[in-house]
Amino acid sequence: MSRDQILANLRTSLASNRSWLEKEASAAPHAAPPFVHPPAANLVAQFSAELAKLEGRTYPVADAEEALEVIGRLLDEREARQVIAWDLEQIDLSGLPALLAARGVSVLDARVHGAARKERLQTLEPVSVCLSGVDCAIAESGTLVLRHGPGRPRLASLLAPTHIAVAHRSQLVRGLGEALAFLRERYGAALFDPTSHLTFISGPSRTADIEMTLSLGIHGPPEVHVVVL
Amino acid sequence: MSTHSLHFFDRVDTALHDETLRTALNRATARFVGNRSGAIGALSDADTLRDQARAIRAHALSRLDELLVRLAERVEARGGRVCWASDGEEARRYIAELARSRGVRSIVKSKSMASEEIHLNEALERAGVEVVETDLGEYIIQIAGETPSHIIAPAIHKTREQISALFEQHLGMPPTTEVPPMIRAARQALRQRFLRADMGISGVNFGIADEGAVVIVENEGNARLTTSVPRIHVAIMGIERIVERLEDLGVMLQVLARSATGQKLSVYTSIISGPARPGEADGPEEFHLVLLDNGRSQILGGQYAEALMCIRCGACLNACPVYQSIGGHAYGGVYSGPIGAILTPLLQPDLPDNYLLPYASSLCGACQEVCPVRIAIPDLLLRLRADAVRAGKFHPIEKPAIQSYAAMMNNPALYRVGGKFARLGTRLLRRKGRIRRLPPPLHLWTRGRDFPALPAQTFSEWWEERERQRHNG
Repeated sequence: MSRDQILANLRTSLASNRSWLEKEASAAPHAAPPFVHPPAANLVAQFSAELAKLEGRTYPVADAEEALEVIGRLLDEREARQVIAWDLEQIDLSGLPALLAARGVSVLDARVHGAARKERLQTLEPVSVCLSGVDCAIAESGTLVLRHGPGRPRLASLLAPTHIAVAHRSQLVRGLGEALAFLRERYGAALFDPTSHLTFISGPSRTADIEMTLSLGIHGPPEVHVVVL
Repeated sequence: MSTHSLHFFDRVDTALHDETLRTALNRATARFVGNRSGAIGALSDADTLRDQARAIRAHALSRLDELLVRLAERVEARGGRVCWASDGEEARRYIAELARSRGVRSIVKSKSMASEEIHLNEALERAGVEVVETDLGEYIIQIAGETPSHIIAPAIHKTREQISALFEQHLGMPPTTEVPPMIRAARQALRQRFLRADMGISGVNFGIADEGAVVIVENEGNARLTTSVPRIHVAIMGIERIVERLEDLGVMLQVLARSATGQKLSVYTSIISGPARPGEADGPEEFHLVLLDNGRSQILGGQYAEALMCIRCGACLNACPVYQSIGGHAYGGVYSGPIGAILTPLLQPDLPDNYLLPYASSLCGACQEVCPVRIAIPDLLLRLRADAVRAGKFHPIEKPAIQSYAAMMNNPALYRVGGKFARLGTRLLRRKGRIRRLPPPLHLWTRGRDFPALPAQTFSEWWEERERQRHNG
């Protein structure tokens, strides 16, 4: 069997090189630094500046009311009638269901599996806005961390040309190391129990494949808006 | 591209005479080099981070057997399936059989060097399945019928006019020299491919043994769509591309994106463990992980084991003066640049002129200087050259040439006379201080490079004169 053959080869190989590799492995500590840039005093300002460099926009707001105003305006500008979204109770913004209802914006059923998968995907395709929360956000790289799962579809940050995310100041961490430590602390060994996908998003989809010219939105959303309250 | 049937020297000639390619290469590599050094330079402690990255990779390789078993068990515990493939044939057969048994008609692919290493697309197309590359650069070269010229920017050798013509022919797009309409046309066309696909095939940047997960980094979102939209996700991973813990990413991802493109993080990092769980709205219903050996388990035991630390960032390509001039196609294999000159002879040993690749280096050391895991690339290239010589793979002229050179270097009188003739000779042949073509048999050396004309005065003459003047003055 190939598995046994590969493992046997590896063990033979390691018999000659393991001690050298172990020496190399012990030459530096493995624990990741919590962050890698000089820490900023104001995490919201740092997150906002980093996301701006990536052509994404941040809206620091004072309260839920102001957050709803921003989201309402973004929806109006895009004449959104339908959204692909996390279950609204998972987004942690009181008044969001009422805001959508008042505008006649419906949250589409994002269930795509089984025999109807392709048909359902075609229904979701024309939608102009994705709406999600986050698990945490990384200030020094302008990154959103999304753990998917029941009520948190992957497509709600991926399919439509505009992604609006709601984050709370308390969810901001300084660096990637801190974000990974946070996920571990919060979910322990159950991190991947409710979902198969954990996604880090740093700004809009981009490519430079045509003559090194930067272009946004080749596959994922060309617009990323983050409301921070 | 047809150049792959040519000999290495002819591929180099072709590349060196392609003005479009050289302009594009200069622009791209200069940009990547600048972005990388800016991003690495901005780190609080880049040196420690790179030492850590190397230590983490070494640790994973030192326990590779154990970590692969753990990865496989945990993928299976999550409801995924694992294929251990000794070689390309086993991997191709598994995926083709999977496609057949599930009635798969169309496949979307995100970037995977391992799949190119085993020529997966050709095998699937022969099995009657349509395969679409969805990374924009990969898509462009797929419809052009070519191969990638750069690990990170596969289509840098194509101009916008050439791409417009391809899109006109394949997508019905009106001709344009503007990039945004080309992006829109590609998004629209490829989006439909995603929504209609039955299977998505991706590569893997890192496996995480403890989580039974794979990590995929990308900027476009095509890997997210590939791994989220179709019913089946197949991930192909070279067995060495593993780390033990999720927390190791706190080091590895920090160096990967900065080394590759100068980004702090790539736009999207997906960490994927098995198929979608019950109760989830979307995601693949099946997840398959193909663990590809293809020679790696043997390499681990030899003098080139260090090359297995590579995380495929492409920094050494951009930094290499040879790669900057000849680009990826000239190397002939899937992996190009300095690390490709090591990996291709090891992973694709059937390519006949492989032994020449380690000579596509001036041994200047720029590659090792930028490598995020500090692979001693020049050392490994020298060892490969020594291997080739021991195997009798060298030009018949090389042995007498090196022998006479050695004799000359060991005899001061001979050295002086030889030097005089060489200087006289190069003065007669030079134009603008350089010699384009030496007389036979030395013309072999000037095939791909100029020879500098030797100065009128040698160092020892200069030194003697200086000493004379010092004593007299």
